[in-house]
Amino acid sequence: MTELRVEHIRKEFPTRAEPLVVLRDASLQLAAGDNAAILGPSGSGKSTLLHIIGGLDRPTSGSVKLAGQDPATLDEVQLAKFRNRHIGFVFQDHYLLPQLSVLENTLIPALAGGAPSAETVARAKTLLDRVGLSQRLDHRPAELSGGERQRVGVARALLLKPVLLLADEPTGNLDRSNATSIGQLLIELQKQEQTMLLIVTHSWELASLVGKRFELDNGQLKNAS
Amino acid sequence: MTFLRLVIRSLQFHATKHLAVILGVMAATAVLTGALVVGDSVRQSLRHLTLDRLGRIDHLLLVDRFFRAELATELSQAKAFEENFAAAVPAIIIPTATAELPRENSRSLASGITLVAADQGFWELNNVDSAMAKVKAPADGEVILNAALAEELHAQVGDTLILRMAKATQVSEDSPLGKKNDRLTSLAELKVREIIPAEGLGRFSLHPMQTSPKNAYVALKPLQMSLEQEGKVNAILVAAKDETRDLSPEASKNLTKELQQALRPTLADYGLALKHVELKPEVDGQQQDVINYYSFTTNRMLLDEATERVAREAFGKHGSYPVLTYLANSFDKIGAAEGTKGVPYSMITAIDPAADGPLVDADGKVLPKLADDEIAITEWLRADQDLKVGDRLRVTFFEPETTHGDEKEKSAEFTIAAIVPLTEPSEPYSRRKGPQFKEPPTRANDPDLTPEVPGVTDQASIADWDAPFPFEYKRMRAQDDKYWNNHRTTPKAYISLAAGQKLWKSRFGAVTSIHIPAAPGMTAESLEAEFHAQLAKDKELLGFELSPIKARDLAASAGTTPFDVLFLLLSMFIIGAALLLIWLLFRLGVEQRAGEIGLLQALGWPQPRTQRWLSAEGLLVSAVGALLGVGAGIGYAAVMIHGLRTWWVGAISSPFLMLHISWLSLAIGFVVGLVVAQLTIYFSLRQLRKVSPRQLLAGETFSPLAQFAEKKTAAWRLWLPYFFLLLAAALAGLASVLTAEAQAGTFLACGASVLTGLLMLISRQLGYRTGAANSANPFQYVLPSLALKNIGRARGRSIGTIALVASACFLVVAVSSFRLSPTEQGIGGFNLIAESSEPILPDLNNTAARKDAIGNAAAVLEGSTIIPLRMRGGDDASCRNLYQAQQPRVLGVTPAMIAHFDATDVTKFIFAASAAKEAAEKSNPWQLLAQPAKGEEPVNVVLDMNTALYSLKLYGGIGQRFKKDYGDGPPIEFRVVGLLSNSVLQGSLLIGEEDFKRVFPRVAGYRSFLISTPVEKVAAVESTLTDKFGDEGLDITDSRSRLRDLLAVQNTYISTFQALGALGLLLGTFGLAAVQMRNVLERRKELAMMRAVGFPPARVAAIVMLENLLLLCGGLFTGLLAALLAVLPHVFLGGASLPWRDLLVMLTAILVIGALVGLIAVRATLRAPLLAALRGE
Repeated sequence: MTELRVEHIRKEFPTRAEPLVVLRDASLQLAAGDNAAILGPSGSGKSTLLHIIGGLDRPTSGSVKLAGQDPATLDEVQLAKFRNRHIGFVFQDHYLLPQLSVLENTLIPALAGGAPSAETVARAKTLLDRVGLSQRLDHRPAELSGGERQRVGVARALLLKPVLLLADEPTGNLDRSNATSIGQLLIELQKQEQTMLLIVTHSWELASLVGKRFELDNGQLKNAS
Repeated sequence: MTFLRLVIRSLQFHATKHLAVILGVMAATAVLTGALVVGDSVRQSLRHLTLDRLGRIDHLLLVDRFFRAELATELSQAKAFEENFAAAVPAIIIPTATAELPRENSRSLASGITLVAADQGFWELNNVDSAMAKVKAPADGEVILNAALAEELHAQVGDTLILRMAKATQVSEDSPLGKKNDRLTSLAELKVREIIPAEGLGRFSLHPMQTSPKNAYVALKPLQMSLEQEGKVNAILVAAKDETRDLSPEASKNLTKELQQALRPTLADYGLALKHVELKPEVDGQQQDVINYYSFTTNRMLLDEATERVAREAFGKHGSYPVLTYLANSFDKIGAAEGTKGVPYSMITAIDPAADGPLVDADGKVLPKLADDEIAITEWLRADQDLKVGDRLRVTFFEPETTHGDEKEKSAEFTIAAIVPLTEPSEPYSRRKGPQFKEPPTRANDPDLTPEVPGVTDQASIADWDAPFPFEYKRMRAQDDKYWNNHRTTPKAYISLAAGQKLWKSRFGAVTSIHIPAAPGMTAESLEAEFHAQLAKDKELLGFELSPIKARDLAASAGTTPFDVLFLLLSMFIIGAALLLIWLLFRLGVEQRAGEIGLLQALGWPQPRTQRWLSAEGLLVSAVGALLGVGAGIGYAAVMIHGLRTWWVGAISSPFLMLHISWLSLAIGFVVGLVVAQLTIYFSLRQLRKVSPRQLLAGETFSPLAQFAEKKTAAWRLWLPYFFLLLAAALAGLASVLTAEAQAGTFLACGASVLTGLLMLISRQLGYRTGAANSANPFQYVLPSLALKNIGRARGRSIGTIALVASACFLVVAVSSFRLSPTEQGIGGFNLIAESSEPILPDLNNTAARKDAIGNAAAVLEGSTIIPLRMRGGDDASCRNLYQAQQPRVLGVTPAMIAHFDATDVTKFIFAASAAKEAAEKSNPWQLLAQPAKGEEPVNVVLDMNTALYSLKLYGGIGQRFKKDYGDGPPIEFRVVGLLSNSVLQGSLLIGEEDFKRVFPRVAGYRSFLISTPVEKVAAVESTLTDKFGDEGLDITDSRSRLRDLLAVQNTYISTFQALGALGLLLGTFGLAAVQMRNVLERRKELAMMRAVGFPPARVAAIVMLENLLLLCGGLFTGLLAALLAVLPHVFLGGASLPWRDLLVMLTAILVIGALVGLIAVRATLRAPLLAALRGE
């Protein structure tokens, strides 16, 4: 059974004086189908933890295990393949390519290894249908609202059926109504796809939608009620 | 913190970012300054060459006759001379001598040599610091050669050579009384004493030219003896006292005027004479005054028009009248008994009745004026032919002008109106005295009515005549010999002046003498003084015109080609690329500081103030760049000058250029570089005004999403690319029916339309929505698709880059096609072209004349066409001469040449334009030269278009009128009636033969030849003609080689354009890299996202690299395609050729370098930390 095990993660950043410790001893564990949120004030290190789990950054010490692999032990190429195969990212700034259409933006993860298969394209269309954009496949990001752009981001993240969906402040740039809607969509799709979902947010409202909630306090993860 | 301090601190902090901008400004300024310095260098080098070539020579008198050498001394003693001039050196200058260096089994020949014969004073005219000033004048039997002549002859010091030149003939070869044979004289056994470098007076030349002339220098006396002109010269070289004087044409004008006034030639110097003709016999112990007048004559037999006019004005008040005496080959009584011999070789005078003239009756009464068909004969002729008043008399004579030395006889019939008494002397002429009379002589007893013809009139016996015309001695009878002994050149008949001039007036003149009845107190001296006074009054110089040669040649050294403008144009792509770089790099720097700018605006700085802040930074950056650019510009100019001395020497013919730097050019280069850079920076900043402080704070300098919003495109815009493609097709169709430059230009316009259409299509394609929702897979080809979509992201920028590369590529390739090769039409079908130093009289196009001239060897000329042209030497007005041609060489087009091109089966020169209206003229525009100008009409002229445009600056095309002053008459006005396209006749003005003879009456014979001969006979024809006419300095060259040399100028400029265009393209690839860097920086978050979702770094790098290559290849391919579409039809029609190999190498090199430069952007992509990039840092 696929699970995420994060153990004793420590992350320091060098400064002119002593190193700045952002994460001291962060550990967590998720099983398939779990969803969780990490809460904390700005600068508490929650995005850093998310990046370490997603293989975008390496910890100073500690380990991350996902699908039996520790991303910190992989080289750049293996790491890229690891992220592509196992992880889906939803960013606060959706990072849609303005020159591509909605469908093309959704297909981007599939382009990392070559041309997308017909099945992948079909899945992209299905996902876009599920996020409510089936009529907007050919539109450019400039023609979408903020909420719609983030829906494309969600569809893109789920394209390659990742085991872990990481969302970094996914509603941070949205109004309350859109934020709720995106939050619910994320949970709904996560459940349908039977993937793990880890959200970093400072929104209690979003966090309330998930099963587990952690709070980063002084570089350590604590359960939050 | 002041504003200035903020600017300086910013500059310090962002120094590395500005470094690239400084380099851009430096490049632009360097090219601008360099082009100006190249222009300075060409002008100064030409000026330097002129000053060196002429040494201290300031003015030159060069006339077409010989005069007393003392005239130079007399000139130097004049007061006006002493004030401003230092020396007047007499010399003989022959610009058309020939040299022969005999060898054991062969000989080396060199023609077109300038022969200078002068004493030591000539060498003292060198600049004092010149090594040539130490040269000792050659002694008798010695010759000094300059290096150019020695090289052509392969001569060495100690060799012995022969110099040939024309004899000093006074009567033109084109006159029946002019000598046709034995026209050359020579200086033989001349030992080469020294070979001097072609510098200082070692490169003395009458015509400004940057190439080295071929000069030989000999002592004055031996040449004077050889020419039978002892004590005489044909030139005076004048040195100015103040060598630093103002040499502008205006300043020289007054000086020339003063010097001209100080020059006082005598009548003898002009070749004129005033003779007191008296016949006062003693009859019955009393002296009778029978003949008493002054005869004004010339040693050229006929008084030229100007001299006659001045003389008639001067002597008119004394009752002077003109006389024209001619040679009658025969007087024959019409209706005489068969077998009656006519009177051979007699003089006949055209004269009107005058109180002291010969036309009197037996009672001494003046005869009434003769009608045009009436003749008065002497008693002698009457008796000889048994004539009476009312009889008809046929007079046979030679036509007054000959062509190809062929005297043609003509006759006229007259009615005898009177018999003029002629007294037979009691004693004939003897060696010491004239005839003696017992009976009173009459006024008709006047041999002085006939001018001198050396070899004829000065002979004691007819048997001794050295007649220049076909003289049949067997026709002479005993009574003719007796007449010669008794009367010499006394005319036997008289007709009216009008009738005589109608028959015998020629381009050489219409009068042989002017008679001035003697009056008390009148002397030859008083009459001469009156003549001089009239000359001064009429400002007539009779060929003795002092030329301000130094000022004139310095004015010509301003050059034909503005090299600064030329190199600016040739370097335009470098400048364009440099400006693009400045724009991109400065923008890049500013965009990286978007946050700073946003912050200042958010804190309340007004937008203009932030603009001023950045502009001030830009100004300081530009100033540093421009300053460095001025230095680099000198280096750039040095490289260009080096190029012109080596790789591109074909453009200037001779590697004479030196680097000359003027402060003004450097200052202009700096200011223009600074202004251009600052304007570029201003425009690069202008776009920022539209960006809000919030966007700037977020690091955005434009909204990437907004530009992809759906915009409705007007229908006409959709059709615009197709309009241009259709236009291109129409232009291609039009071009196929045009010729020459018009065709090439239309093809070029066709290519430009294709380029515009293609760029519009590309632009639209980049903007098109791709990957339709219904398609099965929008990413069949991932990398190309992504790269294509990415370059469409900043469409304007990408199209700008493609357009720059495409335009440069288009122009470099298309202009390459203008590289010219000699064509059959360019040489008019004539595979050889020849020029001689001395005129060649026989008609070499006529089989019989060839045989007469060459003998049996003429057989080799069978099947060859030899078209002769008259030639008046002058400045080379071809592109090869960088000096402005003041007196371009003129060729006289013969009727034979016009007729040759009437044929339909001959290769013809191509006319780029002509004034032809009639069908016959259109088919053969040379016919426009067939009709001579009437009255005051300008002379029709055909010339090569390159000569018209570049050398003579005639931009008006057909119909344009222009004047040229050849110094031997009033300025000649020409009218352009034909422009030749890339022909071997470049450098000359071509006028009709009749016009030529009228405007250059003294130029005789033919010196230029167009020869068409079967290929297998070329060597034999060349050898036969050179053997026969080597003494005349006939120099035969391959027409294609000559044309190739002429075309080399244009071809070399094209090479220069290609080289500099390629350099600009290369710089453009750096611009491309800058565009890529901007793209990568703008898209750093998105590229990071791609890496985050699993794109391997190499794949991201491949996309960026592919984008770079697409832009580069898109530009190159589009430009190449458009160029080929423009050029290929022209190539297939034979009007152009492409240097495929050079272009392939150049474009490949640019592609490779562009790709390598593109790696910079790739490297930047790969080096960007993923998380930092995700956060947009």
